Amino acid sequence: MSDARDPTEFDPIVPNTGEEYEPLEVFPESGSFDLRPGADSCYKCSTCDTNCPVAEVDDDFPGPKFQGPEQWRLKQTDDDYVIDSSISECSNCLRCDTSCPSGVNLAQMHNTARGEYVENQVPKFSVKYIRNRILANYRTSAYFASMLPRTANFFMNFGPVRWAMEKVLHVPSEREFPEFATQTFRQWWAERGGAKVHSDEKRIAYFHGCYSNYNTPQVAKALVRIYEYFGYEVMVPEQKCSGTPMFANGMLDDARRHAETNVESLTAAIEDGADIVASCTSCSMALRNEYPELFDIDGIDDLAAHTYDAVEYLRIHTDVRQELEQAEVSGELAEEFAYHAPCHARSQGLERQAIELFRNLDGVEIEDVGDSCSGISGTYGWKSEKYEKSMEIGSEMFEHMEDSGGTTGMTECPTCASQMEHGTGYDIRHPLELIEAALID
Amino acid sequence: MASTPHVLVIGGGSTGIGIARDLAMRDLDVTLVEQGNLTHGTTGRMHGLLHSGGRYAVSDQASAKECIQENRVLRDIASHCVEMTGGMFVKRPEDTEEYFEKKLEGCRECGIPAEVISGEEARKREPHLAKDIDKAIAVPDGAIDPFRLVVANAASAEQHGARIETHSPVTDLLIEDGEVVGVEVKHKSGPGIRVHGTEGGTEEIRADYVVNASGAWAGQIGEMADVDIEVRPSKGVMTIMNIRQVDTVINRCRPKGDADIVVPHETTAILGTTDEEVEDPEDYPEEQWEVDLMIDTLKELVPMLEEARTIRSFWGVRPLYEPPDVGSEDPTDITRDFFLLDHEERDDLPGMTSIVGGKFTTYRLMAEKISDHVCEQFDIERECRTADEPLPGSEDFSVLRDYMEEFGLRSPIGRRSVERLGSRADEVLKTNEPNPVICECEGVTRAEVQDAIKQSGSDLNAVRIRTRASMGNCQGGMCVHRLASELHDTSVDGDTFDEAIAREAWDELLQERWKGQRHALWGEQLSQAMLNYALHATTQNRDNDPADGEPVDFAAFDAGGDHVGDASGTDVAADGGETDGY
Repeated sequence: MSDARDPTEFDPIVPNTGEEYEPLEVFPESGSFDLRPGADSCYKCSTCDTNCPVAEVDDDFPGPKFQGPEQWRLKQTDDDYVIDSSISECSNCLRCDTSCPSGVNLAQMHNTARGEYVENQVPKFSVKYIRNRILANYRTSAYFASMLPRTANFFMNFGPVRWAMEKVLHVPSEREFPEFATQTFRQWWAERGGAKVHSDEKRIAYFHGCYSNYNTPQVAKALVRIYEYFGYEVMVPEQKCSGTPMFANGMLDDARRHAETNVESLTAAIEDGADIVASCTSCSMALRNEYPELFDIDGIDDLAAHTYDAVEYLRIHTDVRQELEQAEVSGELAEEFAYHAPCHARSQGLERQAIELFRNLDGVEIEDVGDSCSGISGTYGWKSEKYEKSMEIGSEMFEHMEDSGGTTGMTECPTCASQMEHGTGYDIRHPLELIEAALID
Repeated sequence: MASTPHVLVIGGGSTGIGIARDLAMRDLDVTLVEQGNLTHGTTGRMHGLLHSGGRYAVSDQASAKECIQENRVLRDIASHCVEMTGGMFVKRPEDTEEYFEKKLEGCRECGIPAEVISGEEARKREPHLAKDIDKAIAVPDGAIDPFRLVVANAASAEQHGARIETHSPVTDLLIEDGEVVGVEVKHKSGPGIRVHGTEGGTEEIRADYVVNASGAWAGQIGEMADVDIEVRPSKGVMTIMNIRQVDTVINRCRPKGDADIVVPHETTAILGTTDEEVEDPEDYPEEQWEVDLMIDTLKELVPMLEEARTIRSFWGVRPLYEPPDVGSEDPTDITRDFFLLDHEERDDLPGMTSIVGGKFTTYRLMAEKISDHVCEQFDIERECRTADEPLPGSEDFSVLRDYMEEFGLRSPIGRRSVERLGSRADEVLKTNEPNPVICECEGVTRAEVQDAIKQSGSDLNAVRIRTRASMGNCQGGMCVHRLASELHDTSVDGDTFDEAIAREAWDELLQERWKGQRHALWGEQLSQAMLNYALHATTQNRDNDPADGEPVDFAAFDAGGDHVGDASGTDVAADGGETDGY
C-alpha cells in the first residue's frame, strides 16, 4: 500500500506550557495573549536563527529567536510593553518553527506577535496597512477580478496601472500579476454537475483555496480527476480563504472570520465521512497547524486532525506510487522538472514527496533544487520594501533552477510558483498535473 | 576625637549600605567593608518582595506598620528598583475563613490598603491561579530588586564621600584600652575597585565608631571582641522559575507555613520559602526536598508551576535574633523586628554597636535609627534625609521612550534596559560605540555591561548583579564568555584587565551560575545545562582547561594557510570541502 508513514503517528515534542495552560483563554476579555510559558522550551541554541532566510540576507533583522521566545519572555502583559516593529520583517516561512529541536512554538509566537503589532501599533489609515489588508484579502480581489477575467488580466499587468500601484500602494511593478482563469474551478464544477464518482467509503472534501479556484483551475481539475480515478467521491464544500496571507499580515480578525466559515463547512463534510485535502500546502498547513494554535472554534481540532495535503493523502491511501512506476508520460509534460519544496510543505514533513513519487516515472526527470526558501512567502515579496530582499532570498533557488536540465519547474505552492517563474521565466507545474498526465490523459 | 567622626560599617548588605548612605549624607566620614560582593549575604538571597506589611498584619503589627510606611518611601526614593505589581492573599477552600477575616482586620488596623475580591476577580487579574481559589485580599505588595537597590545606595554613599571596600573581610577588631578603635581587613585583591589577582594584603582601618551590620555573621564579628551575639541563622530556600507565571505577588492566606509565596521578579518568578535554623551561615545543607516542597505546595495556588521550568534555586540565611530570655523553639516564632545592641551598655565595650534581625523592606528605617544612635555618640544633631532624596537612578524618569529612535534598541530590550537604569538610561545607553546585546535572555547590551565594569572593576559577579546579565534561562551559557571578552583590555582607574584577570572572572561567574543550577537539573534546565556543557567544552575547552591560570601563548598558533577559497567557487566542492584537483 502506501509508502508514506502514517502522519497521524507523528508526535512532535509538545512545548512545555503547563497542564492548565490555554493561551487563548488566558485573557478572554482583553483579547490579549500570554505566550511567555512557551519560552520555557528554548535553550537559546540558535538553530532557528541559522534556518531563517530573512536573517541570512538582512543584518538588521534580529531573527526568530529574538522574535519568538526572547521577546515573549522579556515582554510583560501590561499594555506598555509593545511588540518590536521588526516582526513585520518576518516573512512567515516558519522554517524556525520546523527547525526548533525543542518544540518552541515559534509559529504561534510570530503569528500572535504580528497580530498584536498590527492591532495596536500600526495606524489603520497608513498606506502600508491598507496595502497589506488588500494583499491579505486576495480572495476578495480575485473574486471581483474573476467576474471580468480578461479585463482584469489586461489592467493588472498594464504599465500605467502598475506604475500607479507602485506609487500609491507600494506594490512592486517588477512582479507580474497572476492570470485569472476565464472559468473558475467552482464554475467548472457546477457546470460539470459535481461529482462523477459516488462512494460511501472513500470520500474527500476538497479545500481548493483561492488560487486554484481563480487562477489555476487546471490543478483543481487534475485533483478531481485523480481522486475519481482512485474511486473517491469528491466533495467541494463552501469555503473561504484559509487565512495564511492574513496571518502573515497580522490580520487575525479577518482570518478568524474566514476560519469560522471554513471550520463549520469542513467539519460538516467530516461528519459526512470525508477527509479534507488541499492542493496548496499553505492552505493545508493553516487548517492543520495555525487554526488550533490561534483560534478556539468548535470542531477546529477535529478539522486539523482530518486535513491532508492532496499528494500526501494519495500516498497514504492509494497505490499511486506503484501505478506511477508502471506509467509513462509523453507529450507536453514529458519534461525535466526543477522541483522546489515550499517551506510550508517542509513544515508538514512533505518536502520529498514529489521527488519520491516521480523519480522512477518514465518520460520525466525530476531534480530537487535544494532546501532554500523561494523568498516570496505569499504576500511578502509583493511589497515594494521587501522586493529586493525577497529576490535575494530566492537567488539560490533561481541559480539551482538554472543549473537543472530542463526549463520547467514544479512546486505545490502557488506563490512559490510565481516566484520561480518570475526569477527564471520557467513554466511551473503542480505535482497533481503530472500525476494526471501519467495516469489519466 | 577628629572633628568629623569616622565611622566604620561592617557589612555590604541592605542594612550596612543604608547606614553608610545615611551617615555619609549627614556628613560623617564613612568606610564600609564587605567580605564579598555587595549583597553577598542575605540581601542577595531573598525573594525580592517589597512588603505591604500584609504578611505581618496578624502576627506582628508593629512590623506591619513599618512595612507599609517604608513601602511608600521606597516607591518614591527607589522607583527604578521597585515594580508595583500589587499582591494578593488568596484563600483556598481548606484555608479557614477565620484567618482570612483576621488578616483583613489586621491590614485595616495597620493602615494597609486591603480590598476583598472574589475568586473570579482574582483569576481575572491572575489567569493562572487555581480554579478553586475562594477569594483574595488585594494589598499593595511589590517587587524590588535588592541588587539594584544596594548598588544605588552604595553609589549615593560614595557621592557623599564614603569609601566602600568590597572583597575585604574583617580579620580582627582593633581594641585598645577596652574600646573598639577599628578593624583589620584582608583585601582579597587590592584596594579600591576590585582587581583580580593582586593580593592587597591586610589593612588596619581605624575609626571613631564601628557598626557591625554583618547580619548572620554578626556573632562571628562579636567573637573577635569576646562578646556574645546570639544570632540564630535560619535558612530558607527560594526557587526561580524561568518566566513569570503571575504578575502580582501571590501569598497564601493562612498562618505561618512553608512555601506560601510567589513573587514576580523581573523576567522570572521566585517561589519561597522555608524557615529552618542552621548552625553556620556559610555551611548548611541545601536539600532537594526543600525545592520539591516549593513546587508541590505552591502548585496548589498556581497549578502550572508543576510543569514549568525552574532555572535555579538558592538559599538565604535570615539573621534572626531574639533576646536570650525569650527562647523560641521554632525559628518561625522569632520576631522579625530588629535589635540595636550597644556593646557599651550591654558588654561594657565602647566604640561598637551591632544591628541584628530586621527585614529588607525596612532597611532604610533601621539605618535611620542606627544612624541616629551613632550621631548621638558624637552629640551630632543632623536630620536624616534618606526618606526624601531619591537614589541615583530614581530621579524623575519615564520608561516609555522610543527605544529605537533614542538608543537604537529593539523595544523589549530598550524597555528592560531603561527599567534597570532608570534616570541613568541616557547617560549609559546613548553611545556612539556599537551596542550589541550581550545577554540575550535578559536583554543586556554592551553599553550597560561596560557601565557596570566601570563601577565594579573586574568582578563579573558584580557586573551580573548590576545588569542581570547571565540571570536568564541559559544561566550564562551563551553570554559569560562575552562578558569576559568585554572585561579584557578594559581599563578602570588605570588598571587594565589582562587575559588572566578576564579568565579568572569568567571562571568565577560560571561557577556561581552553576551553583544554583545544580538544584534545577531536570527537564528543560537539565537540557540547557547539557547544551551549555557541550558548547563550553567544544568551543572553550572548558572540560580541560589548557591555560591553568597561565596566559595562553596565542602567538604560537599559526595564521592558517595562505589559500582562501576563490569566489568563483571553481576550486571548492559543493559540500564545502576542496575539490579533488586541488
